[in-house]
Amino acid sequence: MTSAKLAIRNVKKSLRDFTIYFLTLTFGVCVFYIFNSLESQEAMMDISNNQAAIFQQLMRVIGGVSVFVSVILGFLILYANRFLIRRRKKEFGIYMTLGMEKGAISRILMVETVFVGLLSLATGLATGILLSQAMSVLTAKLMDVPISRFHFVFSPDAFGKTIIYFAIIFLFVLIFNTIIVSREKLIDLIYASKKNEWYKTPPLAVSVLTFAAAACCLAFGYWKGLSSDISELLGGALLPLIAALCIVGTFLFFFSLSGFFMNLVQRNKRVYLKDLNMFVLRQIGSKINTAYVSITIVCLVLFISICTLSTGMGMSTSISKELKESTPFDASVVASVKTDDDGDAVGEYPGFDFAAAFDEDRGAGGIDAFAKDYLAVRFYDSGTTIPLNVVEGNQVNLIDANVQFMKLSDYNDILKLRGIDPIELDSGEYAVNFAVSNRGFKAAMEEYMKNADVIKLRKTELQTNPDNLYRYTLNVVENQDYNVCVIVDDPLVKGLPAARDILSVNYPGEASTYDTALGEAVSALKPGKDIKLSALTATEVGERSNSATVIVSYLAIYLGVIFLITAAAVLAIGQLSEISDNASRYGLLRKIGTDEKMIHKSILKQNLIYFGVPMLLGVVHATVGITVINRLISAFDKGDIAQTSLFVAVVLLIVYGGYFIATYQSSKGILDRESALMRAE
Amino acid sequence: MLPIARNILRTENVEKYYGGRGSLTKALDGISFEVNAGEFVGIMGASGSGKTTLLNCISTIDTVTAGQILIGDRDITSMSRNSLAKFRRNELGFIFQDFNLLDTLTAYENIALALTIMKRPPREINVRVREVAEVLGITEVLMKYPYQMSGGQRQRVASARAIVTNPSLVLADEPTGALDSRSARALLESLRTLVRERNATILMVTHDAFSASYCDRILFIRDGRLFNQLARGPETRKQFFDLIIDVISLLGGDIHDIC
Repeated sequence: MTSAKLAIRNVKKSLRDFTIYFLTLTFGVCVFYIFNSLESQEAMMDISNNQAAIFQQLMRVIGGVSVFVSVILGFLILYANRFLIRRRKKEFGIYMTLGMEKGAISRILMVETVFVGLLSLATGLATGILLSQAMSVLTAKLMDVPISRFHFVFSPDAFGKTIIYFAIIFLFVLIFNTIIVSREKLIDLIYASKKNEWYKTPPLAVSVLTFAAAACCLAFGYWKGLSSDISELLGGALLPLIAALCIVGTFLFFFSLSGFFMNLVQRNKRVYLKDLNMFVLRQIGSKINTAYVSITIVCLVLFISICTLSTGMGMSTSISKELKESTPFDASVVASVKTDDDGDAVGEYPGFDFAAAFDEDRGAGGIDAFAKDYLAVRFYDSGTTIPLNVVEGNQVNLIDANVQFMKLSDYNDILKLRGIDPIELDSGEYAVNFAVSNRGFKAAMEEYMKNADVIKLRKTELQTNPDNLYRYTLNVVENQDYNVCVIVDDPLVKGLPAARDILSVNYPGEASTYDTALGEAVSALKPGKDIKLSALTATEVGERSNSATVIVSYLAIYLGVIFLITAAAVLAIGQLSEISDNASRYGLLRKIGTDEKMIHKSILKQNLIYFGVPMLLGVVHATVGITVINRLISAFDKGDIAQTSLFVAVVLLIVYGGYFIATYQSSKGILDRESALMRAE
Repeated sequence: MLPIARNILRTENVEKYYGGRGSLTKALDGISFEVNAGEFVGIMGASGSGKTTLLNCISTIDTVTAGQILIGDRDITSMSRNSLAKFRRNELGFIFQDFNLLDTLTAYENIALALTIMKRPPREINVRVREVAEVLGITEVLMKYPYQMSGGQRQRVASARAIVTNPSLVLADEPTGALDSRSARALLESLRTLVRERNATILMVTHDAFSASYCDRILFIRDGRLFNQLARGPETRKQFFDLIIDVISLLGGDIHDIC
């Protein structure tokens, strides 16, 4: 039999052993392709030059990160491969006793690697190409552009790149395998399965003390992270200290867990002496006690993965929310006083009547040429500012917010155009509106409203209360608009100097057509010599919206998924080695009359605990971690929490759940094959 | 008054063939015998004589080609795979050459395991484990792990696990094979104690004439057939041992394997 035939027969025969290896490769290839093919999704969307630039930037960053990702995946695949080799040492031993040369064994391994590699590359690319179609929906949402022509996207670049990167990884696996085989001694190969680990339950006192220490570390770390001032958190050594505490706490937690848990359960004879519980617990106990380092790492990687995934997703939802908030209309045109290069006014602003201006200038077709609904509103100069202490990150900024007055009727007209219920004002009261989404600014405004100044207008004293604070965007804005509007009864603004006039417009149709019409109409206007007109469309704002955030959130999702795969694969491989090393123990259980159902149940329990425990602690860590991150990145509004959690939960379910099921099936496969061998002997 | 002898095990014309047409190997070729309750029966034979196959068939780990094996009054050759597992844990006890204790469990837990898979209540488990440990003299090692015990102690723990369920039949495959002579003697004494005090029925496969001399009756197997039977009458163990040696030389074959 040629070695190729032998190799393919081997793979077929131990397909279940290869499951985890195959799954890891396939997931890796799939994610790698999806993220490297982002660029091609452009074709599906109406995209401007600006957005194309973002895409290019994103691709450059993803290209760089992909090198790092391929290194992680490479190590993971080597690790999975090592498990396969280890499991088959005896088989190689037999080949060698039969006189097969090491070179021939290496050749068998090589054919196997290439065979499995090609298969998983094909499956991974196929799934990747399919999933990247779904990914484009997410991209469109992130970039806030509609999908104009949905068609099948395929990226030849990403396709080629994936193949090249994984070919390099396989090359490393091949070299690694050859080295392993050439270094093995026959005697070790034949007796590979004879090694044993001894395990002893530590005394209860030790477990309890370590457990208490772990609880203290974690509780203190959590408490510090949740309650410290943000400035304290960012400056100095507090954040590293918290991280260190949590790492040590996690480590001690898993170190003590087995002993602590064992002692507890052993005391409860009803549970302990039921079915195979005793056996399962001892298996897990010995495993956790010898492998707590790797379990700690898995738990921490899970923590990082959940945090990056939900932060990435949260950021993207918050961007689109912010974007929606800053573009209440299709376009706004602002008329204000001309300024010089330093931003100082060069004259007096006389006020500008949009309706009249368009009326006079019939040449451009009038306002109806581009507007379905429109509204021109005047803002009046107050000559005062409100000093606000805005907490941003770790610093407090003193911001003098400009105050402008506006008529109640104008304000309610804007709300009406936005489809919002009008507000009411009691006599002798004023209302305040601001449009800043910054949380620190919001908090400062709320604080200010508790003790707001009395305003005197036309001999009327006006007061306000916290209920009269509103947060609506009144026109299309580019950046944070730190203007604060004070809304008063219409007659009170009489005689005040105008500060600016704003025309807001909703188009009768597609933005792409009417943006140009608006631009032409506005440039055709002839305002006075001191007046500056500037138009801003929702399209422009959408394009310029935070390209950095789009990139960061994409990367977070990319890396989050890769980390998740890493953690799950390491767990799965560890668990499979465990089952395979203990096959003889399960064989004994069978011999003394344990039925299959009970054995399968015991494996399921073991897998559940093994996968569940690090995940549970990881989720608890992540919940705290995400809260802290949200406090640190205060500039972001919280995204839709339900949507974010749903997204993270689905990703966890698919990747982690997939690995869990695969591990359980493979474990069963290993034991069933072992029992078949037993009967044959 | 003597207890009424009852059949615990009866094999009728058991045959086991390996291979297909052309290269047929008859591992067992029509073996019939009976074992009574409370009897300590040995099976001897050279390597390849079929004694391990026979034990595997009786222990339901392997299946027969033809014939019947009745344990109690049930025919195990016609049972389903799942009911076989149930049958094994309820009716059979196993002692293996290499002990086969779980090294992650203490002696107590190893013995208790046989009862927990039968879903016995915890209180009963505790009583029965301590009782059987008392009989076999391993009470003081109950809380130790296998690696903390001597080979003899380990094998007695294994015997305790085999007997704790009160099985109809205990099957022992070369139980002294991995023991030094002193431990072997102690174990064989223990097995006799089990027969005497708990009326256990033991079927033991062995190479070793000395071990065999502790049995009540010995079946000699050659080429898959029952070759001879030797019952220990009023003779002393020493005399019985000499008789066994005589049959072995009569058996011929590979003496080296037998002794």
